[in-house]
Amino acid sequence: MSSQKRIAKELVECTASPPTGITVSLPNDSDVHKWHVVLDGPEGTAYAGGRFGLVVSLPIEYPFKAPAVTFATRIYHPNVTNDSLGSICLGLLKSENWKPSTRLLSVLEAVRNLLAEPQPDDPLEARIADEYRRDRREFDKNARSYVARYAKGPVKFDAPRGEPAAGEREGNGGDGGGASGGRA
Amino acid sequence: MFQPEPAAYLQVSTGYAIPHGLPDYTFDETPLRLSDGRGSAEAGPGGNSAGALLFGTPIFSTNNANVGPAQPASNSFNFHATPSNTTSAPTTSTISAPSHHRPSLPLLLKMEPNAHDLVAQEAAAREYQIQPQGALVSKKTLSTAITEEYAKADPVYVQKTSVLPQTYSHYRQIQGDGNCGWRAIGFGYFEMLIKSGSNALVESERRRFELLNDYIVRVGGMPSMVLQDFVDETLALLDTLARLIDNPEQAAAELFEAFNTQDISNSIMYHFRLLASSYLKGNSELYGAFVTADMGIEGYCQSVLERHNVEIDHLGLTLLVNILLKPAGFVLEVAYLDRSPGVEVNTYRFPDEANERHPSELGPVIHLLYRPDHYDILYHPEPVTLQVHRVSSFTQNYEIESAPVALHSFGAVDMQSLSLIPGFGGPPPGLGPMLDTSSSPLTTYSPSSASSWVPSSFSEPIQQAPPPPMPVPTPAPAPQTHPLRFSEYCQLSEYVDNNTWREPTFQTTTFKNSHFNVAHYNNPNFQPEEYKPGAEDHESPPRAGGRKRGSI
Repeated sequence: MSSQKRIAKELVECTASPPTGITVSLPNDSDVHKWHVVLDGPEGTAYAGGRFGLVVSLPIEYPFKAPAVTFATRIYHPNVTNDSLGSICLGLLKSENWKPSTRLLSVLEAVRNLLAEPQPDDPLEARIADEYRRDRREFDKNARSYVARYAKGPVKFDAPRGEPAAGEREGNGGDGGGASGGRA
Repeated sequence: MFQPEPAAYLQVSTGYAIPHGLPDYTFDETPLRLSDGRGSAEAGPGGNSAGALLFGTPIFSTNNANVGPAQPASNSFNFHATPSNTTSAPTTSTISAPSHHRPSLPLLLKMEPNAHDLVAQEAAAREYQIQPQGALVSKKTLSTAITEEYAKADPVYVQKTSVLPQTYSHYRQIQGDGNCGWRAIGFGYFEMLIKSGSNALVESERRRFELLNDYIVRVGGMPSMVLQDFVDETLALLDTLARLIDNPEQAAAELFEAFNTQDISNSIMYHFRLLASSYLKGNSELYGAFVTADMGIEGYCQSVLERHNVEIDHLGLTLLVNILLKPAGFVLEVAYLDRSPGVEVNTYRFPDEANERHPSELGPVIHLLYRPDHYDILYHPEPVTLQVHRVSSFTQNYEIESAPVALHSFGAVDMQSLSLIPGFGGPPPGLGPMLDTSSSPLTTYSPSSASSWVPSSFSEPIQQAPPPPMPVPTPAPAPQTHPLRFSEYCQLSEYVDNNTWREPTFQTTTFKNSHFNVAHYNNPNFQPEEYKPGAEDHESPPRAGGRKRGSI
């Protein structure tokens, strides 16, 4: 009961005055525990022009448990797993850091911030983080090619993404599999 | 952590033999492997010295002909996993044990699987979350359960827990989910409100919380939109308690229900967390020094106070007591059950100044039991509802003639409850005259005029109030078969003043030990003291102790 009340409030907050570059919608009006968010790639970054789908899952225990936020759109980023899961490494969301007083609005803004400023020191993809630090131009190139491949056109939130399937299999073979596909 | 491949170590360990005629001996694998692995690692470069280090005894030094590969016939160790090695050991008596070619082998084999295991284990540990058992707040149970729980523990615990139930008859378990301290205090707080039975107090607390909202927003820096959800649950619970203020049992049931409903319980806990965190921010000059330097006040609030499932510490306890309990006039007393020396749990009261005051001037006290990293609620025994009127003095001058009737009468009175009072093993004859009852057929002994033994032992005669229904149709006391021995002193004329019997005012401890005290008649183990001439010269210590006590 309480969790729905809180989520409803936050939904109103996010939709009534949406923050820049963030659009929130409910895939299913009867279920406030799942949000679909479209994130516009921040201007001046390699992700500019891309539209990234985020799936926000709010547990029943919300706000006493952290929400789960994943990228539905593939993204070339040190802090997002380069696979179909799209898990994000965000300090705010880690269970040992989560505070019930944190609002989803600030979570979403933190995710968007992560696009503008990747955190290579706390990476999920060590190879991409390494590239980000050592060869920024190469990184930007790869990131842009990912945007061109996956983040253009209408945003898809469904898990089975037909087109990247090949890339996924490739990615599972080795850490840089997906990246090499981008480079090619 | 230490999960090596069995074979790696057994390989090395084999081949040694103790020269003294030990029988075939089968080793338990684990300890030997462990020592073997370490020993070999240290002795890695040393080749032969591996054996010496491994066992730390000179019999394995080089050139000692006694030390050799196992002799299968009698003197060998049999290792489970490598029987082949043992049996095929050469019968030469040189030191060239098979082991000294590969002293570093176990090290390599050890690291390989472990590196992988460690990663997996680390990942598992990161993900691992203890599933807390039981309800968030359990029902009140007898605290003897704690004694049983620690029956096999350290003697200090055994001692402390065995005396615990004397002070605290009951306790209430709180789920160990990381909020137990917060929840225990919260639950205790609401319980005290119910116990107070004061609508005014509940109402004033409700007003106080509403005012504190502003404090949390202003000082604590919490957005009111987020805060309101948590506060609403606290206020709703207070409303319920106010409504049921005249029905404490129903109110307690509602409280129990609320605290066992995840949302409500957690919201109230979080409200209290925010109160404590705001109080810290508002009194940073007072408490700032207690926050570890690297965290800072903001960091402490963020990572300890304002996070769900992070246990309350001493500072948090102090903060919460100051903002929640102190204004309501409640005191928190924590009993620390730990291994510190002592026969009883140590207690400490919050706020600090309550420690110097006498318990009687404290007002309502919430008792918590602290075991390292966990809090439960303790309860003192409920005050007995039986109301006792203490009669300071009897109306005296009983006519001795009335005694027979009076003595008959006590059989008709249900005095079962009196047997609860120490010393009242059976119906006290002296009480008979007081209770104006009709006579009963019970005549176990017919008191004569010499029945001045009617004891005056009950220095503080106690009458139950309200008195039991007087004429009990079927008298049910056990037959009075106490072997009464009449002392000659009872019949001395100075105690029987003609027909008038005056109750001596025996109120002293001396009297308790005198023969006029007939309480010992009820003691089946009573052994009268025997006079032994000369025995006083060597008195036994207990006797001396008893005398000492009596004289104080």
